[in-house]
Amino acid sequence: MRRFLESVKIAFQSLSANKLRAFLTMLGIIIGVGAVVAMMSIGYGAQESVLSSVQDIGSNLIIVTPGNQDEEQQGFERMLGEDKDRESLSVEDAELIEKEAKLLNGAAPAILNSAIATYLNKNTRVSIYASSEKAETIYNFKVDRGRFYTKSDVKNASNVALIGQTVINKIFGKIDPIGKIIKIDGKNFTVIGTIEPKGTDQFGNDQDNSITIPITTAQQKLYGIDYVNMIIAQSISEDDMGQATAEIERILRKAHNLRPGQSNDFTVRNQTQLVDILGTITNIFTITISSIAGIALLVGGIGIMNIMLVSVTERTREIGIRKAVGAKNRDILLQFLTESVVLSITGGIMGIVFAVTVSLILNRFTILTTSITSFPIILALSFSTVVGLFFGIYPAMRASRLNPIEALRYE
Amino acid sequence: MNDNDICLNNRCIIDITGISKTYRLGKVDVVALRHVDLKILEGEFIAIMGPSGSGKSTLMNILGCLDTPDGGTYLLENTDVSKLGDSRLAEIRNKKIGFVFQTFNLLSRSNAISNIELPLIYSKKLAGKSRKQKIFESLDAVGLKGWEKHKPSELSGGQRQRVAIARALVNDPAIILADEPTGNLDSVTGEEIMAIFQGLNRHGKTILIVTHELDIAKHTDKIIYLRDGLIFNVEKVQNPVDANHMLKTMPRLEDKVRGA
Repeated sequence: MRRFLESVKIAFQSLSANKLRAFLTMLGIIIGVGAVVAMMSIGYGAQESVLSSVQDIGSNLIIVTPGNQDEEQQGFERMLGEDKDRESLSVEDAELIEKEAKLLNGAAPAILNSAIATYLNKNTRVSIYASSEKAETIYNFKVDRGRFYTKSDVKNASNVALIGQTVINKIFGKIDPIGKIIKIDGKNFTVIGTIEPKGTDQFGNDQDNSITIPITTAQQKLYGIDYVNMIIAQSISEDDMGQATAEIERILRKAHNLRPGQSNDFTVRNQTQLVDILGTITNIFTITISSIAGIALLVGGIGIMNIMLVSVTERTREIGIRKAVGAKNRDILLQFLTESVVLSITGGIMGIVFAVTVSLILNRFTILTTSITSFPIILALSFSTVVGLFFGIYPAMRASRLNPIEALRYE
Repeated sequence: MNDNDICLNNRCIIDITGISKTYRLGKVDVVALRHVDLKILEGEFIAIMGPSGSGKSTLMNILGCLDTPDGGTYLLENTDVSKLGDSRLAEIRNKKIGFVFQTFNLLSRSNAISNIELPLIYSKKLAGKSRKQKIFESLDAVGLKGWEKHKPSELSGGQRQRVAIARALVNDPAIILADEPTGNLDSVTGEEIMAIFQGLNRHGKTILIVTHELDIAKHTDKIIYLRDGLIFNVEKVQNPVDANHMLKTMPRLEDKVRGA
């Protein structure tokens, strides 16, 4: 241990003799390691915030969307606007699922859109989330004050609305909104409740800048349509998710009169699948970044090798002196190897410090959430050690094999 | 046979018989040493002289275990070192041999202490306080107290050579090998270095120096003349020059300034 510390000390001494050169050599490693750690912290942060917002929506959710997303052709046709499937889901489908499925807590249809909300002379653009009374439990709407719309509100297509905190701030200010009449795209609605703040989602969208209304009201009075954008169902437990998904598929195929062999005109996804998809996306991101960083580290390693070779030549005489007073080949090998490893690990540590700083700044001043975990740090450190060893071994071997007599004579 | 008797009665540090060495330069073989026999006893102070190309350096390299002979045997303190591998030779150099070079060969970025410490780093025996103490003993022996933190660039030639001698001493070697130790120094400083060698010799150190200056060689007890890879004469020095005495008679720079 003492000998190890001694050689590290010697390595630092010889490196500090040429600080600028050592720093420039380390730069490759600093950038490589910094990139890996920073990017991974952004990746992890994104993954975490997406996951948490997926969980925020509610748990054990199964999402049914119109059109068959599993068939590429469909997606292509949809792009051309020739797709009738866009209108394949209805409020009745949701009610049917609700009634017939045994493994579900409930199912709620939904229409997502945006609109202008006006109170007196103030107006603002808001997102509209139209659904049935089931949304309160399934979609995790927490009513702050007032009440959620009821089954009869949905049945009668009542002009009632619940508004989010941002909407209150923008158009009501200090006025109590409960019972007031607002205009949504020009139609009058009575505010019957307010929704607890949810904050921003992973894409930086303000989730509180929203208004929720009964789905029938949206269909009949705002948009004049008879289809819905999606149906959200909740399975009884996480374990039943797969079976519940199959159950919904069966019910919908029957309701849509699809013959065996005919493909679905809808897509059923559950949260686990969504999380899997997100995982795949972040994995691709991580692999891409890692390979770029790997290349940066490789270039950094070549820089180290280059400088170490120069250093061996420059210090031929020193090597001769050391050998004359009793350094073995192994001692010289270790000295130069330690030097290159110290170089690369110092670069690695500086890279980590750099990355952590960047990630904290991003976290603090941008909408990106970053997450610093030990894994990329350990990975980066071990990687830079390996780089130091790998690219240091050849110069070190050259140094250790020098003939002491010739080395002493070297000018 | 007479030599062998000496070796029995006194401690024989170096005993080489029939050492030869040939270098191959391109297609020409250059014979550096033909057949050299040499015995060095404990406490001897010997000078090797000879014109360039006589094999002095080769002999020195072999004696210093930096090189191995092609033929013959080399006993260093009764151990045959003529056929050892690199690693064992490094160990022998570390423990039994102290080198002093014409060009000092100090590490330019390290201060006096670190330079003197170098052999101790590779011998792995002393640590901490006892190591410090050993370094300061060496420093003291060459009269460099107070200069321990200075780097070679901050020292005069004579002082640099003293650091080199202290480094050679620090591991208590069996023999000190000095290759033209005064070659890069002016005569007064050279004399001072010889005074240090004589002092060490008086305290029992075995010293071998290579020189081409007869004035320097006359400070030793015995001069060995080398020519064409062979020892052709060994001469006992009748009245070795006392360096300390010489220093008193030599004109000092300040004397000259005062005289003018």
